[in-house]
Amino acid sequence: MISRRTLLRGAGIGALVVAVPVPALAAEGLVPNVFVRLDDAGRITATVPRPDTGQGVRTVVALMVAEELAVEAGDVALEQAHGDTERFGSQAVANSTSVRQLATPIRTAAATARCLLVTAAARRWRVPVAECVAKDGAVCHPRRGKLPYRALVRAAAALDPATVPVELTPPEKWRLLGKTRGGRVDARDVVTGRTGYGIDARPPGGLVAVVARPPWIGAVPDTVDDTATRALPGVLDVLTLTAPAEGQGGVAVIARSTHQALRGRDALRITWRGGTPTADSRAWLADLRSALPAQSPIDGVQQIYSMPLLAHAPMEPMNATAHVRPDGLTIWAPTQDPGGLRTQLARQLGVPATSVRVETTASGGAFGRRIEPDPVLEAVACSRRAGAPVQVLWTRADDMRNDSYRPMSVHRLSAEIGSDGVPIRRAHEVVTWPLTVLPFFANPALIKASGDHFPYTVPGDVSVIVRPAPLRTGFWRSVYAGQFVYAEENFLSEIGRRSGLDQVALRRSLLPAGSRLHKVLDTVAEQARWTRPPAPGTSRGVACLEDYGSAIAVIAVAEPESRRVLRVHAAVDVGVALHPSGVRAQVEGCVIDALSTVLGAQITVREGGVAESSFGDYRWARIGQTPDIDVTIVPSNAPLGGLGELAYPPAAAAIASAIAGDTPVTSMPFGTAVG
Amino acid sequence: MARYLLRVNGERREVDVDGDTPLLWVLRDELGLTGVKYGCGVGLCGACTSHVDGAAARPCVRTAADSAQTRITTIEGLSRDGDHPVQRAWRELDVAQCGYCQPGQVMAAAALLARDPDPDDAAIEEALRDNVCRCGSYPRIRDAVRRASRIMREER
Ligand code: FES
Ligand code: FES
Repeated sequence: MISRRTLLRGAGIGALVVAVPVPALAAEGLVPNVFVRLDDAGRITATVPRPDTGQGVRTVVALMVAEELAVEAGDVALEQAHGDTERFGSQAVANSTSVRQLATPIRTAAATARCLLVTAAARRWRVPVAECVAKDGAVCHPRRGKLPYRALVRAAAALDPATVPVELTPPEKWRLLGKTRGGRVDARDVVTGRTGYGIDARPPGGLVAVVARPPWIGAVPDTVDDTATRALPGVLDVLTLTAPAEGQGGVAVIARSTHQALRGRDALRITWRGGTPTADSRAWLADLRSALPAQSPIDGVQQIYSMPLLAHAPMEPMNATAHVRPDGLTIWAPTQDPGGLRTQLARQLGVPATSVRVETTASGGAFGRRIEPDPVLEAVACSRRAGAPVQVLWTRADDMRNDSYRPMSVHRLSAEIGSDGVPIRRAHEVVTWPLTVLPFFANPALIKASGDHFPYTVPGDVSVIVRPAPLRTGFWRSVYAGQFVYAEENFLSEIGRRSGLDQVALRRSLLPAGSRLHKVLDTVAEQARWTRPPAPGTSRGVACLEDYGSAIAVIAVAEPESRRVLRVHAAVDVGVALHPSGVRAQVEGCVIDALSTVLGAQITVREGGVAESSFGDYRWARIGQTPDIDVTIVPSNAPLGGLGELAYPPAAAAIASAIAGDTPVTSMPFGTAVG
Repeated sequence: MARYLLRVNGERREVDVDGDTPLLWVLRDELGLTGVKYGCGVGLCGACTSHVDGAAARPCVRTAADSAQTRITTIEGLSRDGDHPVQRAWRELDVAQCGYCQPGQVMAAAALLARDPDPDDAAIEEALRDNVCRCGSYPRIRDAVRRASRIMREER
């Protein structure tokens, strides 16, 4: 049953509005932050509180609302919420929590609307509520016929919700949720080019800015000669941006069009000072290695793993549009956290939050990068100077070279092996950097908590040594689990290989019987016909992970000789799979990330700056390298789990083990010098 | 600045830009055709893929001046109602994740099928080799191109 407090009555405006709090945010004061609205034309609108960065949260919201209101997903209009934490609670897309936190409140809001409509119809007909059902946008009764929602909206809105019991549609009655049919709700807009991403925001009178960025890490402009730039057609202004209040710092050129801004930037003559002009990522790796203690705690099998820097490189480069006016400002941004951004801007600019409007655009990928506000801060500085809306556009090279990178790390794993070849004690020593974008992430305990998900029954210790980060580092899909799990699973495979053990049997023997991992491992082994020997010239790798409330096991099949990955099998237990096609898409995406980073994508630093500039040298996988990917969703009674980051770490480990064949894996990318 | 007459999506459009302005920015900034996506600006990612005289081309590495006498089709002009077989196949197989690369992928696939109605995997991989999808929708793209080819055959 729903309390009066959480229902916003709309009788006066001819609409029924149901708002329900997200329980995970109770600490923030139980704000009603999920909204479902029906107007008296029968139109259904749902607010999507969190951004969709490609993970499909908009589709899941539409499916949940349509399921509870007995209509089709296409009948639900979606409104993307602007940034407002007071109204919507946390709006951050992080740690694979969006659907987990929104599912119950959204379903409850829509079910409440349905129950009120049914009750209103029953009263009008003077029949028991139990004889009425909602179907295809109407309430039906076997003898009285049917009343469309639009005819019931006013009466439903006048009911006291505290008197109407609310029941969620049970999974066995789902028509839409959990079904394979049905794709993304925004698919038509995507394939016709109508989706509005951040880069497409161009308010009337809008200008474009590009920023000359430091040629090496930490450099700041010393002298700026902008004479030639200012003489160019279309160039309106040049201003120096100071970090951190105005982003990462540099010299911005504001022009009427993108091309004019880019040409203006080319014509700048800047000298730079400070920073680390000789920095080299090979030296950074050596420093991490030398920080390992002289002795490992276990004298047994041992292996050291080196992990590279990785960039996010979302397909839509960083950008943001701002319009600073005397009475406030509006932002259009492909952000992962519109609410947090609004709060931060208000605080930083010393203005009330009510004068800051953050419009959440569609976002061309995010992978953790768009939780940071730096492009927005640049746009605000430029718009304030120009007195007009300004879009700051990062070129691909700007994006690749001024990212918040996944930290490098070195892992020393050691194990004592029992007489049957199985590890009986283990140690995992990690040396890495903190995440500079969130200073409290310098805490080794937090890094350990993010990375350490060792599921096997082998006692041992994980220790983390944190060295100062020599460049900006940030959240990259799966965060530290990407490095930790890669090292742990490859090490376990190495032990299995040396002991001549079957890799699946080894893992089964080390997982608690009846556990979720045990089940997904058995499922994937069957899917991959594990008990049959691999085809000549092929080799296989396996890895598991339980995290975010979900469990997954992955088996990769590759040809070590050609380094071709042929097939990747995954079995996943996400509790309830609300949108199975979306679940598979997330696993497929993680597999491609894994393939890319194992086969060669890495960021290197030479002479103080990032060497890679685009998809030519940051070697992301292409369609021709794509293996067949086959994902099984394992039926489960577990609560709804997270998924966006789950598959990356085990997929990377399984792929590396498969490509390695009979040789040990010692690095990511496999078989390539790191740094 | 100079005036250029372009033929875009079946219409004549006049623009007043510098001749060396990349066609990408002419389409996006001057003509408001924002379905043409910027991903790299140097011909490496395929996000901007459109058709020039019926073949797949990269507007980021062509200029306004060299586009004057050509016929340009962008994602906005691929079909009247969004129901080109490639667009339908993309929806049926739920290809898109963030969707940002997809206008380029769809245009590359449509150009391929126009010249090779029944491409094998090697032809698909060749035609889409330099269309990056950072979200990793490749397996579905491969299936959707085959599906679109079948739709075209069934409806011929
Ligand atoms: S933007 Fe044209 S190929 Fe990348
Ligand atoms: S769907 Fe996101 S880049 Fe392709």
